[in-house]
Amino acid sequence: MNVLILGGTGNLGPFVVNALEPYHTLRVTDVNPPEDTAHEFRYVDMASMTQVVEAAEGMDAIVNCSVLREHRKIAFDVNTLGSYHMMSAAVTHGIKRVINTGPHAILTGPTYDNIDFMLTEEIPPHSGVDLVGGDNPYSISKSLGQEICKVFTENFDVHVMCLLFCGLKNPEHPRFFPGRDVTPFVVSVRDAAEACRLGLAVDLKSLPSKNEVFYITTDIPHGKFSNAKAKRILGFAPNDKFEVVWHKVTDH
Amino acid sequence: MNLLITGAASELAQALASRLSENHHVRLTDIVNIKTEFEFIECELGHDETTNELVRGMDCIIHLAELPSDYSDDSLDSDNLTIDFMTRCTYNLLWAAVEEKVKKAVYGSTLKLFEKYDDDLTVNENWRPLPSTDPYVLGKHLGEFTCKEFARTGKLQITCLRFGQVVRVEDVKDQPYDPTWIEIRDLVHAFECALGEKTPGLNRDWSVFHIEADAPDADYPPARRARGSIGFDPKYRFRE
Repeated sequence: MNVLILGGTGNLGPFVVNALEPYHTLRVTDVNPPEDTAHEFRYVDMASMTQVVEAAEGMDAIVNCSVLREHRKIAFDVNTLGSYHMMSAAVTHGIKRVINTGPHAILTGPTYDNIDFMLTEEIPPHSGVDLVGGDNPYSISKSLGQEICKVFTENFDVHVMCLLFCGLKNPEHPRFFPGRDVTPFVVSVRDAAEACRLGLAVDLKSLPSKNEVFYITTDIPHGKFSNAKAKRILGFAPNDKFEVVWHKVTDH
Repeated sequence: MNLLITGAASELAQALASRLSENHHVRLTDIVNIKTEFEFIECELGHDETTNELVRGMDCIIHLAELPSDYSDDSLDSDNLTIDFMTRCTYNLLWAAVEEKVKKAVYGSTLKLFEKYDDDLTVNENWRPLPSTDPYVLGKHLGEFTCKEFARTGKLQITCLRFGQVVRVEDVKDQPYDPTWIEIRDLVHAFECALGEKTPGLNRDWSVFHIEADAPDADYPPARRARGSIGFDPKYRFRE
């Protein structure tokens, strides 16, 4: 399959490239070039409709790893307008499969996250407007982007799988400590990348609808978010569990 | 009350300013300069201090969320401009409003969000919007999305008015009847009603009303919720 990767050199993109390259022909795009790559690379700014549409020509699927968090103008350019460009590109070229990504807060912002447990993916998005309690439109600009994806699936023959992450961890460079607990939504970058590969493999006819959201979190016992849907539909099976973090440390 | 009205270049903004200035102090704004008898501040609704200065001292913002029809920007095509304005600029405006302790906003939306429903359905505020990907319709939907998040998190009380094509009855008297017409004077009245909406005992920071022209042959009155909740009482009919 010919796969366009948007945001291919960011935090997650390189791990997605590693997960997909044995199976697919990749066109990697970003505003920053990779240090070294065996794949076709194109400079693509998500704020440019022309660049995104041109990059999608000849592709069978799109994986969107692009994200910008803090800067208010660029965050909307990448996360909101970028999604509009991506979906326009998919429709222009007849691409049926799009994998979008984002933080879980685009669905479960503070009005859920501060209050509720047993949260599923089948709930209306409540991103809130200030993810970190200040002037930061990260979650709402990504949430608007996912809403754009949803509207396109309701108007065109295109499927979107939105994979939600949080607390992305690189097991080779862990930033956590045994016994200190984790946020109740956590996944390793390689498991997250594997979820993207699964999204490319799943039979579109097996999806309940043309717009499906998945919590891509590892197996943790907190009872706040569940990965059951990702396991059931995508076959997601996380390898990195971080048990040592959410178990108390005992000296004996 | 100190009122800020966006989209000053539009005929609706001018009509609102004329009527509301009888009882309120009105400030107009747009992203292009216009000539007007009212206080006017040109503002791009960016994320800088100018947007804070724009909303400072206001009690309420009427956000029409309309770009000037002939507006262009070399950096973005027209579709992008619309989506960008409805999302980022709405966010910037409302964020500044929160920072400057403005309590309320009224958002101008569209009944085009329901065009995909068949005409024989009793579509009202209890029906889910079905936006198309037309940039204007999608943009209005995303603007509502943004407003709802501000309201949901208790930062602003927001009233959303959805309406159709704004006309003057004398301008369309020889045209084929269009059920989406709303007379501009009735619409101004609707905004006036929305300004006076009182928050009931429940914590209701978001409310939405469909503003439609009177229709004598309807099975039940159009704009039923607006009539009952905010006292909307349309005067103009396009058919007898």
